[in-house]
Amino acid sequence: MLKYTIKKILSMIPMILIITFIIYGLLELTPGDPISYLMDPESLARLSDAQIEEMREAYGLNGPFVVRYFNWLFRLLQGDFGYSISSGVPVIDIIKTGLPATLELAVASLIISTILGSILGVVSAIYKGTIGDNVLTVFGMIGVSIPQFFFGIVAILVFALNLEWLPVGGRTDPSVTGFFDRLEYIVLPSLVMGLSMTAGVMRYARSSMLDTMNKEYIKTARSKGLAEWRVNLLHGFRVSLTPVVVLIGFRLPTLVAGSVVIETVFQWPGIGNAFSTAVRAQNYNLVMMLALIFVVMTLFASTLVDIVTAAIDPRVKLEN
Amino acid sequence: MKNKETVISVKNLKTFFYSDGRCNPAVNGVSFDVKSGKTLCVVGESGCGKSVTASSIMQLLPNNARIEEGEIVYKTGDSRGDIHIEKLDRNGKEMRSLRGKDIAMIFQDPMTALNPVYTVGWQIEEMIRNHENVTKEEARKRTLKLLADMGIPDHEKRIDQYPHEFSGGMRQRAMIAMAMSCNPKVLIADEPTTALDVTIQAQIFELMEELKEKHNTAILMITHDMGVVSEMADEVAVMYMGNIIESGTAKEVLGSPKHPYTEALLRSIPILGRGKGQDLNPIRGVTPDPFDRPSGCQFEPRCDYATKECSNRMPDEVNLGKTHMVRCIKYQEVSKNE
Ligand SMILES: Nc1ncnc2c1ncn2[C@@H]1O[C@H](COP(=O)(O)OP(=O)(O)OP(=O)(O)O)[C@@H](O)[C@H]1O
Ligand SMILES: [Mg+2]
Repeated sequence: MLKYTIKKILSMIPMILIITFIIYGLLELTPGDPISYLMDPESLARLSDAQIEEMREAYGLNGPFVVRYFNWLFRLLQGDFGYSISSGVPVIDIIKTGLPATLELAVASLIISTILGSILGVVSAIYKGTIGDNVLTVFGMIGVSIPQFFFGIVAILVFALNLEWLPVGGRTDPSVTGFFDRLEYIVLPSLVMGLSMTAGVMRYARSSMLDTMNKEYIKTARSKGLAEWRVNLLHGFRVSLTPVVVLIGFRLPTLVAGSVVIETVFQWPGIGNAFSTAVRAQNYNLVMMLALIFVVMTLFASTLVDIVTAAIDPRVKLEN
Repeated sequence: MKNKETVISVKNLKTFFYSDGRCNPAVNGVSFDVKSGKTLCVVGESGCGKSVTASSIMQLLPNNARIEEGEIVYKTGDSRGDIHIEKLDRNGKEMRSLRGKDIAMIFQDPMTALNPVYTVGWQIEEMIRNHENVTKEEARKRTLKLLADMGIPDHEKRIDQYPHEFSGGMRQRAMIAMAMSCNPKVLIADEPTTALDVTIQAQIFELMEELKEKHNTAILMITHDMGVVSEMADEVAVMYMGNIIESGTAKEVLGSPKHPYTEALLRSIPILGRGKGQDLNPIRGVTPDPFDRPSGCQFEPRCDYATKECSNRMPDEVNLGKTHMVRCIKYQEVSKNE
């Protein structure tokens, strides 16, 4: 298991190299002089043309593409992501403040959708063909087809504006307020995001569970005289869990896209929100750096899914 | 001398399937006795209702199937007396306490019959602890002994391995170990060796034979292979389209078949030593659509002896001697060919 984990983690390195290479290529294709976002804009403004040329040399911008790429990558590794051209703030600071907020929302909605989705999926598989199952299936279909922003706006209208149960949006600073004061802010966005993902998880968990329950070893389990709950949970659910975990891995990009939409709708100060602002302001360096963060996060998460899958399914390790 | 009395007595069992409002009488009135220390082989072509018969005894039928008529009596031989299995709630406590403990089952494909995410040992211990009030350590000790008894080498290591780490034959041995773990009175084996190759098949049969002798277990063996029957059976029941059309001791049924179908089945198997040139006669025609059955004798459309009378109704049971039974009006003609 340890060997497998290390192997999985090491295999991310070439992936990250390829991704950064592409991102850097795209960054160079965007309009504007690279020095304008590589350097602090304030000091840049004070420099003469000759000094700027010197800085270019210092940043290695006059060398060939590969050299420029590695210079950039090296600065990335030191935490230098350049600057946001619209605010002049270092990108790393934007990431530092936004990432915890984004992760908080992502993890909350992932937990909601995973738990709710698997439970509902398994229940509707066990009670296949009953009214309850049909109702859940219809809800699932509706859930998959409603766009997240629409769902979000309706939720705001109902729960924040009409009922005034919860705030419209925003998030309070974790260093200032306690956990429970902050809770009311995350309820709505995480529920909207979580529920909109639940439908997919549910449909998948249901078909995975149905598939498992038709297996011969379920009949074996029954032939042992086990109680139904043991057959369903320990033998059925436990096996159908693997594909559900894999599915959650596949849905991580949706989570990223979702965070852009939901954070914008709810004014949640995460990197998804920063991303949509940056796109509108044509703040290319910031857009690219945030995109890089999203991609790397997805890569990390899918590696984690691989490791978890191997941990819960003994057959996986052999195949690798 | 061990007693060879009846443990399970099935009488006029009818199990029907319902789908799209149509009814498939998959098992249409079968009767047989399973006796301790004896192997009863139920043999017949694919789809004739063998597995459904076994599932009926275990009450492991799918939801679209129902026991319509007849009785399945399990004679416990203890204070519980005779239990009418067909009257028990399918997944009720009573039925579950019989399953695995009194009547255990092994399946055709050991590859898929064991749960892939648990170790073999865990699955056997689960069975023991489900029926008996023993500690984890106790269950593990018994599992180790069972694995050793079933001839699994290296059992100390094997007990903590997953099914995919076992070969097919070893897996079936593990299945048998699980089935035997609570000393069942009856072992139902649904084509236990169809998925295995011939040498492994012989070893598994040997093991089952040994267990039968040692524990006086009653074995209900389901197969479509006449070769298996001749090797294993003490008693034989030949099934066709949901009916037992001939039954008796192995000697009676294999030695002097009275039903045209039995005769044809025996003719269709190769005989070892006769070589390539031998005359194999597959049974002509195909099995009828189970939803659209012949009106009279089910075998009539494919039968060489059929007359007009045969299409009127399914022939009654004719008893020839104490144990031999046949359902054919022309059985006397069949015997003449011997
Ligand atoms: N789950 C099911 N749903 C509907 N019909 C079924 C089901 N299982 C079995 N049947 C029907 O019951 C009849 C008997 O099937 P059964 O599985 O007992 O055959 P079998 O003798 O065991 O054949 P095989 O040698 O292929 O295992 C068949 O006509 C089959 O179509
Ligand atoms: Mg079968």
